[in-house]
Amino acid sequence: MSTANTPTIAVASVKKNFGQVKAVQDVSFEVYPGEIFGLLGPNGAGKTTTIRMMLDIFRPDGGSVSILGGELSEAKKQRIGYMPEDRGLYKDLKLEPTLIFLATLKGMDAAAAKKELEGWLKRLDLYEHRDKKIQELSKGMQQKAQLIATLLHNPDIIIVDEPFSGLDPVNTRLAKEIIEEQRQAGKTIIMSTHQMYQVEALCQRIVLINNGRTVLYGEVDDIKRNFAGNAVELEGHGDFASLPGVLEIRSQNGTHHLALAPGTNPQDIFRTLATRDGIKVERFEIAEPSLDDIFVAVVKEGKR
Amino acid sequence: MRNFWLLAKHEYRKMIGKRSFLLGTLGIPFLIIVVMGLLIFVITRGEDKRPIGYVDHAGILNETVRPPEGVNDDMVPMHAFSDETAAQSALEAGDIQAYYILAADYLQTRELERYYWQEDIEDAARVDFADFIRANLAAAHSDDLQTLLIDGPELTVRSLEGNREISSNNPFGFIIPFAAAFLFVFIVMGSAGYLLQVVTDEKENRTMEMMVTSVTPLQLIGGKALGLMAVSLTQLFIWLAVAVVAVLIGANYVPQLQDFTIPWTSLLIIALYFFPAYALIAGMMTAIGGAVTELQQGQQIAGILNMLFIFPFFFVALIIATPDSPILVALTLFPTTSFITVSMRWAINVIPTWQLVASWLILVATAVLSVYASAKIFRVGMLRYGQSLNLRGVWSAMRSR
Repeated sequence: MSTANTPTIAVASVKKNFGQVKAVQDVSFEVYPGEIFGLLGPNGAGKTTTIRMMLDIFRPDGGSVSILGGELSEAKKQRIGYMPEDRGLYKDLKLEPTLIFLATLKGMDAAAAKKELEGWLKRLDLYEHRDKKIQELSKGMQQKAQLIATLLHNPDIIIVDEPFSGLDPVNTRLAKEIIEEQRQAGKTIIMSTHQMYQVEALCQRIVLINNGRTVLYGEVDDIKRNFAGNAVELEGHGDFASLPGVLEIRSQNGTHHLALAPGTNPQDIFRTLATRDGIKVERFEIAEPSLDDIFVAVVKEGKR
Repeated sequence: MRNFWLLAKHEYRKMIGKRSFLLGTLGIPFLIIVVMGLLIFVITRGEDKRPIGYVDHAGILNETVRPPEGVNDDMVPMHAFSDETAAQSALEAGDIQAYYILAADYLQTRELERYYWQEDIEDAARVDFADFIRANLAAAHSDDLQTLLIDGPELTVRSLEGNREISSNNPFGFIIPFAAAFLFVFIVMGSAGYLLQVVTDEKENRTMEMMVTSVTPLQLIGGKALGLMAVSLTQLFIWLAVAVVAVLIGANYVPQLQDFTIPWTSLLIIALYFFPAYALIAGMMTAIGGAVTELQQGQQIAGILNMLFIFPFFFVALIIATPDSPILVALTLFPTTSFITVSMRWAINVIPTWQLVASWLILVATAVLSVYASAKIFRVGMLRYGQSLNLRGVWSAMRSR
C-alpha cells in the first residue's frame, strides 16, 4: 500500500451499459499519491470505459467515482493529465502553439506554458521540430508530443493509456524515467498497457479487469506470491505443451516456462513428467509467475 | 468560461490563418473592385462625349437651353444645324456622334429622325437628347416644375405604422435588404456547414477524448461555433467595408449610387434573427457531426436539413406579389424558415408585429432546444469512432442525464 492514507482516486462498483452491451459490471479500486497503478485487462475488458467514467466523459449507470476527495469538477479537471489510447493532435497545426494551447485549456498562462515547454521539447528531442506541423512528425515524435501535452501543466493525476506505443527502446527508457520521476514527485499515476514487463518494472499495485469486472486487485508482489505454484520452469527435451493443466509454454535458451491452469499444481506436472515416455527432464523448479502468466491464466479462466 | 473564449479564439486564429480563408475573403473584394472599375471605365472612358446635332424645322429648340441643375448634369453638348447637308457633313467628319431632324409638324406628330454613322448612339445619348427637348418645351416654367416634367413623378411608399419607405428613385431601398438577407443566409449556412466539418474532424483526428478532459462538450462546441461565426462576420465586414468604399467612389460616376442609404431597420431585423437562427442550425450540425462517423455521411444529412432553411427562396415571386399570403405567414412562424422569410418580406413590406414577436420567440425556443439536444447527442456520439448513432441512440442520448 502507498504511503498516503487518502486515495486520490476511488472507484467503487461502477457499472456502465451501452444498450444491451454491459461494458462495465463491477469495477472497484483505489489509487494513492506517489504510486504508479496498473490498470490491466484484455481488449474489450472495460478499461477505457472505466477511465472515461473516472474522467466524467461517461456517467456511470451505477457505483461511484471519487477524484481528489469528491466528484470531478471543472477545477479538478485542470489537475489531470490524460493520454488516451485513441490519441491525436491537430495534424495541420504547428507543434509548439498546439501544445501551448492545450496547456492553456488546463489553466496555464500562455507565457508560462511556453517557458515550461522549452525544457520538455529539449529533453524529448523535439525542440528543433517545434515549428513543424504535427502531421510532418514521425509516429514516435507524435507520441512524445502527446506525452508532453499530458504533463506540461504539471498535473497531480496522470492517466496514461499505452504510453510506450510507437517508441523505440531509447525513447521507451526516457518515457519510463519521466513516469518514474512523476511518481517520485508524489503524483498519482494510472498506467494502462498490455506490456506486462513494463507493468512489472513500474507499477506497485494493479487491478485486472475482465468482462467488465475486477478479477485481480492488489500489490504486484502479493499477487505474484499468491500465484506462485502456477508456473514451473524446466530444462530438458520432449513435448511439454501437451501436458494436462498447462495453459501456455514459453521456451528460451533450452529453458521452458510452463504457465499452469488454476487447480493444477506443480506436483501434478512433476508426476505426469515422470510417467511420460519421450520426455527427458534435466531441471525442474517451481517458478515465480510473471504478470504475463497471471494475466493469461486469469483471462483464460474467465473464458471457461 | 475562460476555456470557452480560449476555444473561440483558437478556432478563429486557426481559420483566419488558412490560405483558403485569405483567398475567400480577398477574392470577393477583388471582384467588387474589378466590377466597379469596369463600370466606371465604361461610363467615363467608353462614353461618347461628342455633341449631338439637330436640324429644327419646327423652330422649338434653343441649343443653349439646359435642364435645371441636378437633372442630367453630364448631358453632352447639343449643336444646331441649319440644314441636313451641314449636319451630314459634320457627321461624316466625326464632329458629332449623330443628328436628329425635327419635322415642321413635330409638335403634332412627336416623331424624330436620327442619323448616325455606322454605329447607333448609346442609350445615354438618346436620354440626353430627350431631356434636351423636354427642357426646351418646359423652359417657360419654374425649375421645380421643369424637374418634375423632365424626371417624371417620384413615388414613395411609406408604412402607416413606422418610418419605413421605399422610393421609386432609390431602388437600393428594395435591393439592399434583399441582398443583405442573402448574404446573412450565406454566412449562417457557411459557418454552420463548417462547424459540421470541424466536429467530424475532431472525431476523425481523435482529439476529442483529450479535449473533453479539459472542457465540457458544451464549451467545446460553443467555443468552436462562436469562433467560426466570428470568422464569417470578419469576412462579411471586410466585404461590406470594401463594398461601401466602392459605392462611395462609384457614386461619383454612377448617379444611381448617389441615392444609396444604409437600410438600418432591415439590418436590425436581420441581426435579431441572425443569432438564434445560427444557434439553431449550429446545434443541428453539431448533432449530426456527433452522430456520424465521416464528414461525407454528415454532409448528406446536412444537405437535406439545409433544404428546411432555404425553402423560402422558392417563394420569392410570391413574396414580391403577395407578401401577406397565408403560406408566407406560416413560413414566417416556422423556426427553420423564419429567418429568410422575415428578411425577404421585410425588404418589401411591413410584417405585423404579432408575427414578428411570435416567430422570433418560436425561433429562440427551438434554438435553445437544438443546442441542448446537440450537446447531449454530441456527448454520447463523440467517442464512438467508426460507429454511427442510430435514431434510437439519438433518442436515448437526448433523454440521458
